[in-house]
Amino acid sequence: MQSEPSKNTTDYYKHLSLFWTDIIHLMSSKPQALSSIGPMRAFASNSKKISTELIEINDDLMEFNQYLTEYYKQLADTWGIAQKKTNLKVPDIPQDVEQIEAFKRIWIDIFDNDFTELFDSEKFGENYGKLVSKELELTKHWNNITNVILQSVNLPSKEEIDEVYKEMHSLKKRVSKLELELKKQEMKKNAK
Amino acid sequence: MQSESHIDPKIVEEILKFSKNVINAPKLVSAPDEISLEVTPHDIVQQIDKTRLLHYRPLTEKQHKTPLLISYALINRYHILDIQPEKSWVRNLLLQGFDVYMLDWGTPTSMDKYLDFDDYVNGYLDSSVEHIKNESSSEKISLQGYCTGGTIATTYASLHPESVKNYIATAPVIDGWRDTTVISNLAKHMDVDKMVDTIGNMPPEFMYYCFSVLKPFEQGIEKYVKFFKNIDNKQFVDNFLRVEKWLGDTPPIPGELFKQWIKDIYQENLLIQNKMYVGGEHIDLKKIDMPIFTQIAVGDHLVSPECSMPLHYAVGSEDKTLRMYPTGHVGMIASSLSQKKVLPELGQWLAERS
Repeated sequence: MQSEPSKNTTDYYKHLSLFWTDIIHLMSSKPQALSSIGPMRAFASNSKKISTELIEINDDLMEFNQYLTEYYKQLADTWGIAQKKTNLKVPDIPQDVEQIEAFKRIWIDIFDNDFTELFDSEKFGENYGKLVSKELELTKHWNNITNVILQSVNLPSKEEIDEVYKEMHSLKKRVSKLELELKKQEMKKNAK
Repeated sequence: MQSESHIDPKIVEEILKFSKNVINAPKLVSAPDEISLEVTPHDIVQQIDKTRLLHYRPLTEKQHKTPLLISYALINRYHILDIQPEKSWVRNLLLQGFDVYMLDWGTPTSMDKYLDFDDYVNGYLDSSVEHIKNESSSEKISLQGYCTGGTIATTYASLHPESVKNYIATAPVIDGWRDTTVISNLAKHMDVDKMVDTIGNMPPEFMYYCFSVLKPFEQGIEKYVKFFKNIDNKQFVDNFLRVEKWLGDTPPIPGELFKQWIKDIYQENLLIQNKMYVGGEHIDLKKIDMPIFTQIAVGDHLVSPECSMPLHYAVGSEDKTLRMYPTGHVGMIASSLSQKKVLPELGQWLAERS
């Protein structure tokens, strides 16, 4: 989580950026409307959405980095502990092929055990869940920006395509049910 | 004074031999892309959307009367059950005189993100069962569900017990709260709504991540060292490449189906508590009243025995058998142990009821 002063600073810059984006957008919308037509006009009116997404990306990126740092810290700490355990178990440098093989086996067993213990732990699961969640939020912002660009060139957005998929899925289900109903009626008819 | 070097000449010899093997590898073995995973001859008898129903050609003159349908897992493809002739689950069953069908779920695309449990259970699986019943003139079939395919088959057996004569649950994912694997830990902390809303289908890259946290050093390093060390061993290399190719072929999982699976099985654990619904219909495990054979691998690090075993105790069947094998998740279905022990025991049980 962000500390209080840092959050205030972020909020201040967020407000500042939104204020100027809004003002410039309002100030320029009339001359823009006169001078631009078609897709470029759509892009100009959507520019605010893009800057809002970019500001929010910054916020999410900070939290994403915190979880990412914790993720690598957990991996590095586990590595360090596993290496220490290996060193205690095999204090001498292996001298021949048999010793190297034995060392490798011990190293793999200790590392696999310690890392499995980490991946199985509550602290790893929780942080990893948050890390993935933040990554998804970043992806969502990127999707939103792409949608704005797609709409500005009159292409369907992800939501619009999703609506089509949903409609197709529901239609397929209805057709299957109707086909099944017809089949049952046909079977009844044949039985008579 | 100069210190004497004590490097064992065998170490140098080993390093040189290993380097030679790495250099020679491309000359000795095929690239995974060049290997076909289709082993046992079969016909595609039905295709709905991206799913295919495979009917394997018989290998014996006489066959048992009741056909067997295998509902494979949602993770990776069905090829592991027919990975190579000596380790093929399917071929072994054919040689024991069973009439074997396999449901290939195919590779879903973004268009399939709204497919859910209902589509898989009451749609694809039910259509396959109906097709087999018609084709074989049988009133009922035997059903086998493996891993997540076991979750689907279990819900099917509860909703359509009139169509299932025998049910074989092989390492099924049933009781998510008892699952002690790394996969279940990740699943319990996953914001699956956000994932599906943002990405759509469950991406293969995420599955690769989940696989990579399972014994990362044995599977990520040692396995490949062994491969290059054994590059002259044709049988070892062939098996290795086939399994590797199968591991790499991870299709996406339809978003809605994935969402319900994670929530109902791992997060809220509804199936074993008889609180799960599929297509608006209640799943009651007590309605599974046909003979059931549950197979569990003691060393399973994908679906722990504690996750699968509760099915044996939750069903309403009187004729039920539980078998545990000293192997892993894949070892139970594609190894010499499966050929020598798991399949003969299954075959005997199934033959008596087919």
